[in-house]
Amino acid sequence: MSSKKRPARIEPFRHRVETDPKFFDKSWKKLHDAIREIYNHNASGLSFEELYRTAYNMVLYKHGPKLYENLIETMTGHLQEMRRSIEAAQGGLFLEELQRKWDDHNKALQMIRDVLMYMDRTYIPTHKKTAVFDLGLELWRDNIVRSSNIRVRLLNTLLDLIHSERMGEVINRSLMRSTTKMLMDLGSSVYQDDFERPFLKVSASFYSGESQQFIESCACGEYLKKAQKRLDEEAERVAQYLDAKTDEKITAVVVKEALTNHMQRLFLMEDSGLVNMLVEDKYEDLTMMYNLFQRVPDGHSTIKSVMTSHVKESGRSLVTDPERLKDPVDFVQRLLNEKDKYDNIISISFGNDKSFQNALTSSFEYFINLNNRSPEFISLYVDDKLRKGMKDANEEDVETVLDKVMMLFRYLQEKDLFEKYYKQHLAKRLLSGRAASDDSERSMLVKLKTECGYQFTSKLEGMFTDLKTSQDTTQGFYGASSSDAGDAPLISVQILTTGSWPTQPCSTCNLPPEILSVSEKFRAYYLGTHNGRRLTWQTNMGTADIKVTFGNGSKHELNVSTYQMCVLMLFNSADCLTYNEIEQATAIPPVDLKRCLQSLALVKGKNVLRKEPMSRDISPNDNFYVNDKFTSKLFKVKIGTVAVQKESEPEKMETRHRVEEDRKPQIEAAIVRIMKARRVLDHNSIVTEVTKQLQPRFLPNPVVIKKRIESLIEREFLERDKTDRKMYRYLA
Amino acid sequence: MYFLASLLNRIIFSLVILRFLTSDFMMDLGLLPERDADMIMVEGTSQLCNDLLVDPQDVVMLVISWHMKAATMCEFTRQEFFDGLQSIGVDSIEKLREKLPSLRAEIKDDHKFREIYNFAFAWAREKGQKSLALETAIGMWRLLFDGRHWPLIDHWCQFLQVKHNKAISRDTWSQLLEFVKTIDPQLTNYDEEGAWPYLIDEFVEYLTENGCVQRRK
Repeated sequence: MSSKKRPARIEPFRHRVETDPKFFDKSWKKLHDAIREIYNHNASGLSFEELYRTAYNMVLYKHGPKLYENLIETMTGHLQEMRRSIEAAQGGLFLEELQRKWDDHNKALQMIRDVLMYMDRTYIPTHKKTAVFDLGLELWRDNIVRSSNIRVRLLNTLLDLIHSERMGEVINRSLMRSTTKMLMDLGSSVYQDDFERPFLKVSASFYSGESQQFIESCACGEYLKKAQKRLDEEAERVAQYLDAKTDEKITAVVVKEALTNHMQRLFLMEDSGLVNMLVEDKYEDLTMMYNLFQRVPDGHSTIKSVMTSHVKESGRSLVTDPERLKDPVDFVQRLLNEKDKYDNIISISFGNDKSFQNALTSSFEYFINLNNRSPEFISLYVDDKLRKGMKDANEEDVETVLDKVMMLFRYLQEKDLFEKYYKQHLAKRLLSGRAASDDSERSMLVKLKTECGYQFTSKLEGMFTDLKTSQDTTQGFYGASSSDAGDAPLISVQILTTGSWPTQPCSTCNLPPEILSVSEKFRAYYLGTHNGRRLTWQTNMGTADIKVTFGNGSKHELNVSTYQMCVLMLFNSADCLTYNEIEQATAIPPVDLKRCLQSLALVKGKNVLRKEPMSRDISPNDNFYVNDKFTSKLFKVKIGTVAVQKESEPEKMETRHRVEEDRKPQIEAAIVRIMKARRVLDHNSIVTEVTKQLQPRFLPNPVVIKKRIESLIEREFLERDKTDRKMYRYLA
Repeated sequence: MYFLASLLNRIIFSLVILRFLTSDFMMDLGLLPERDADMIMVEGTSQLCNDLLVDPQDVVMLVISWHMKAATMCEFTRQEFFDGLQSIGVDSIEKLREKLPSLRAEIKDDHKFREIYNFAFAWAREKGQKSLALETAIGMWRLLFDGRHWPLIDHWCQFLQVKHNKAISRDTWSQLLEFVKTIDPQLTNYDEEGAWPYLIDEFVEYLTENGCVQRRK
């Protein structure tokens, strides 16, 4: 008996599914009660495993939807209870109660979620329902936070607390923080709609009111401090108990209400506004203003324009003040001081902002050129610094000063006028031996060359070369004629190449015989080695050192001009001379002679001559004597004619006239250059191009340009176009 | 007008001198002195005007000179004279006399006027000069614009005498015609950027300053 055994089959285990009609209700009751316990802080007595399983089975047996519905219902019920409790809270306890209930709800929600985890992972996603936790938050939101009473009360409470804090009271910040965090947890749109937007609105009106009050009562600097304080406060507030994204928004509100809306009024405040700050170098206030107004639209550009018009205005009154024009060196010093002042402001308070520097530059350019004597005065200033007498200042200081002067130079429109004056003044310095330091002179020259190019300084350098060569020539002269020396006066000759030096009209002068003979010997020597050249003595530019023994026994060495020397030498053969006699003997032009005699006889401490009568002006029959009572503390006495001064009116007109004449060929050359390249060009374009080309030297007048064009037409360099009369054509 | 009168004075004076110097001049055709057989000079021109029954100051003389492409006022070379007669289309003095009205009318023609105007500058110039003497220029302008009715002619001449007092350049001469043609007497369409010669800019300023025109700046 072999019974065939069937292979073992594993059959699915079949439960006896009991569709217990009461299955759902029973299960649900378990959960429902559990939830209740959870909300009543009695969770410890529950079995997580059992509850989980219950929920699991419910979902498994397709009771998901109902479970979900019931969950909503139950939670809503509990939330309603909570709501009542919160609403009942009085005064300050409101937020605390809210907070407490929120914590409770959160804890409950976590547990509920854990219990219903299976549903969360299966039913909910497939049916696109809101997850349990999020559902819990939504319910909280709808039942509590957005319930009509609580919504309003919550917002007002928060805003009131913030207001109190702004007014100086201390509030419970952690409570605030947790409340706003709650709102954030409910969703950023909840935070924004229910809190942030109204918060910003209320803040705007708060700051609007406060700013209005402050601006009526505070000076500008004080106001700015308050504004800064408020900004700092708000930033701290956000950091402490608001959402980070609010920072930008509340800052914008404060900036708008406190700064933007009052910008004009603040800047223009009398006695404390921007202008006052600039004038009085209030660096702290200016720094604050710069930093605060960075965030204001057009803030910086408004500061810039206020500064610019102020600088232009004060500059303008400086350069047009007749009092200031009396002393050129002082005039320029003030300009330099002004520049220093604003450079400091920009570097200390405005963070070296490039656009401010540019604004300053254009302001200076504007007012420096309002006074057409600026080029002359700047040259006089440099002259003053480069003369002897600056010995106490060391090399470095002089360098710094010169660099600053170069900045002013750059602002000049009429650089060619400056060049003319600089040449004149340099010549006087070099010839009178009053240049303090060769190095400083050369350094200045290098600066000018760097700025303006080689042509500007080539002639000036020629002057230095001439002097060096002259030294060598004089040495050569004495080397060659050593035997003749004897007691002839020693001469030192400076041979100036015409063209490098400013032209001076040379006038007559009869040299004393001793001088004449030695100078003629020199001329012979020079022409011996330099055939074909012509030498003309410039008697109006020389100096002499004379040893004098006065009647009272005092001996001195006088440093005088050539003219003065001629006059004094006359007294070697006469005790008394009238003006007429002196004029005849020396043949010096009257204007110069009078000035010369005045400097010899009428200047206290230098009156080596005596005049009768003692009046100031010189008439033909005045008598002159050597002043035998002359005394001086120094052995060597300088009675040279005065240093360079600013020109008199006629001299000024003369110089300007010469400069204008010099400009004409430059303009013509520019026109020809341009037309040669472009062949055909219209009038306005020519004017623009010419102005651009000549800009480093001077600003050409469009009328002068027009006249030059007409002159070039006349001379057949250009012609008008036959069809368009505004165009010109280059004629090869 | 004024200039021809002064010129004629000089002519008469030189005529007297010439009479003394050259005792035997004959006139070919009653016009050409033997001495300068190839030139009609000043007195010849005056004779010509007589024959044509025309005032020497009549503008038609300018027109005729233009036809002849005469180089200088009151002087005609043989070539210029005969070529000119040919271009006018006549071969006798009588025919020329008949043609006078139509010649005078040529001034009215815009195109011809421009040519005559520009021709006049070199023609009225002193020999060897680049510019036109002011007095001569003023005389010419009065002559030329008399028939064209330029309202500002008087102001222009006055302005020149008061403010300028120098000779007139060719550019100024030719640009003035443009000015007369394009700019209305109230200067409403005058443009400062219009590349007008400097003298004309000054003229506009002069008119404005003296209230002759109302310009909106």
